[in-house]
Amino acid sequence: MRFTPTELTSDELALQAEVRDFLGAELPPGSHEPGLGMSARHDKAFSKKMAEHGWVGMALPKEWGGSDKTAVDRFVVVEEMLRWGAPVGYHWVADRQTGNIINKFGDDEQRERFLPAICRGELGFSIGMSEPDSGSDLASVSTRADRDDGGWIVNGTKIWTSGAHQNDWFICLLRTHPLEEGGNKREGLSQLLIDLETPGLDIGPIPFLNGEHHFNEVSFNDVFVPDENVVGQAGMGWNQNTTEMAYERGGPDRWLSPFSTVEQLLRETQGTDLGDRAVELFGEMTARWWAMRNLSLSVSRLIDAGEAPSIESSLVKEMGTRFEIEIIEKLVELVDDELTLESESLFQRLLAQCVLTGPGNTIRGGTIEILRSVASKGLQGLPA
Amino acid sequence: MTVDDLITETASRLFAETCTHSAIQDAEANGGAPAIWDAFAETGFPWISLPESAGGSGGTLLDALEVLRLAGYYAAPIPAAETGVLGGWLLASAGLDLPEGIVTIAPGSKQDWLSIGADGSVSGTAHMVPWGRHAERLAIISNDKVASVPVSAATIAQQSSLAGEPRDTLTFDGAAADVVDAPEGVTAEALRFRGALSRVALMAGAIEKMSQLTVSYTNEREQFGRPVAKFQAVQQHLVWASQDAALTRMAADSAGRQAARGDARFEIAAAKLVANQAATRATKACHQAHGAMGMTQEYPLHHYSRRLWTWRTEFGGEREWSRWVGSTAVAQGADGLYPLVAGGTAVL
Repeated sequence: MRFTPTELTSDELALQAEVRDFLGAELPPGSHEPGLGMSARHDKAFSKKMAEHGWVGMALPKEWGGSDKTAVDRFVVVEEMLRWGAPVGYHWVADRQTGNIINKFGDDEQRERFLPAICRGELGFSIGMSEPDSGSDLASVSTRADRDDGGWIVNGTKIWTSGAHQNDWFICLLRTHPLEEGGNKREGLSQLLIDLETPGLDIGPIPFLNGEHHFNEVSFNDVFVPDENVVGQAGMGWNQNTTEMAYERGGPDRWLSPFSTVEQLLRETQGTDLGDRAVELFGEMTARWWAMRNLSLSVSRLIDAGEAPSIESSLVKEMGTRFEIEIIEKLVELVDDELTLESESLFQRLLAQCVLTGPGNTIRGGTIEILRSVASKGLQGLPA
Repeated sequence: MTVDDLITETASRLFAETCTHSAIQDAEANGGAPAIWDAFAETGFPWISLPESAGGSGGTLLDALEVLRLAGYYAAPIPAAETGVLGGWLLASAGLDLPEGIVTIAPGSKQDWLSIGADGSVSGTAHMVPWGRHAERLAIISNDKVASVPVSAATIAQQSSLAGEPRDTLTFDGAAADVVDAPEGVTAEALRFRGALSRVALMAGAIEKMSQLTVSYTNEREQFGRPVAKFQAVQQHLVWASQDAALTRMAADSAGRQAARGDARFEIAAAKLVANQAATRATKACHQAHGAMGMTQEYPLHHYSRRLWTWRTEFGGEREWSRWVGSTAVAQGADGLYPLVAGGTAVL
């Protein structure tokens, strides 16, 4: 394991300036209700504007509508969007991982069908991994696809599916080959692309603890999925899925969620005496963000160097999401106010939202316990 | 901006051969390790980043920080930072002669009182002076003057750090010294930042070594019929310690690279704060994973943990640096906060 320090090049800094100008014009500070990092609102018009600048699917090949940019370029765009609290929800999953998976494991027909639309900011994806009886033990998924003429018949249920009610497509891990007695459950799984409007597919809300609609249950009743929607080789989905999770981990979305809240605290206290304790807290947060950012940026450089830094990104995600929770806890201690989502203070509204959604930060995309298990095996030189 | 592998290899080999468990133990019992220092000085490493004109090796600050990282990794019981990166830098920048032996500095304890008289004499007391009793010269910066004063002129009260390394009290009463006006950029503040940077480099090495030691110990130690590293509760300590090793190494490397380019106050302040907190967490995790064995003198964990507890408070603890970084961040205002996180000292 090695994180190599790196800085942005002059081209990358120019991109950063361009993104800041765009955000300053589109979402002037104080004029918009910022989101909490990647949990930001879905806003198709905003996704489209970003896409017009080439900032959605930017690391995908030009041939398929992308911009042939690097993982570091994407890091630069994404960190600015997230710290600004920009509404990136609609294209988020497609941009971060699904586009990469289709490009890496799909065929040309699939690339042609999906990638240009992703890069235009016109396709929102949901991810189908967890099931009622399958969460951290992901290889135990039991949603199954049975062979049929020219395709597969899918039956089963996926849960915790973020945004399925707002998105267009679903990338789903399911069992295409029955598990034999004593067989390896990592074999026989496949990734299927499924139109969320397909007949037989039902989407129902699983309300968040505060009543918000974010999660869904997606059930399949004899849903037909054509062969051309299988990504890569049928039965080899586990390895593809593991690769996909490497893209999910280690990026700025894992340590920037409370940033817009902290920034707003500073905006609302400008010109007042914050007191020593608040100043020290700002010091701790700023220093940690600086160091976390350098680690996370070095993961992107490793990806650009052709490496698959899965241990590194697990370590960053585990540490980054715990840091997010620590910030929320310290802010609550600091402000010592009764919180409400209806507060007149934007900072207080954001902090209330942080408190309510914070526990999810160390769960989504793999719990920190699972990440520790992955990282620990890596530290001991064992296969993950 | 890289360090020649040869430096890493040579310094690693030297420290691995000389800084054995028993040699570090003996250094503590004897208050020093002259043989290790001689071997280190022989290579020229103490002065690696000082200009050749001043008697140094003409290397870069990054070269020196890499040697310090390795000194931390091997718990080298010698004044690796003081002689070159700190005291040597002060003397060489001011055009004062570098002695052949050890140079140390007054790290700036709150109780210090030191004055450089108009007649070029030094009076006062410096506390917690690293390796004071072994030094030939004490380099001082005070009121825009740099002084090089012979330690032989001091009354010395011996004290030790938490790691059992000399941290002496030196008192001077009108001692004759070489004194010159401090050049631009050579200030007590600059020395404090350099001191903090030196500690961050040492800490990065020590946390990495401590974390590796803990992985190997927990893979060997068996309880309930299997290595304790197989237990998730223990794995958590391994993962957390390795994260703090990575975080501190990144902080040290990033701050060092910026310092090699120029003004790096934000990066150094942030790095020292991050390293201090990482040291607290990592020593706790590694000790817990070792159980009672880690509390013994016979097992080497304490070489690293006690040094980390020492370096954590030297050249600024959490309060000093969190206030520095915090007031700098607050002064940027809301719109300037992220540009500071991403851009560092360059945006100040």
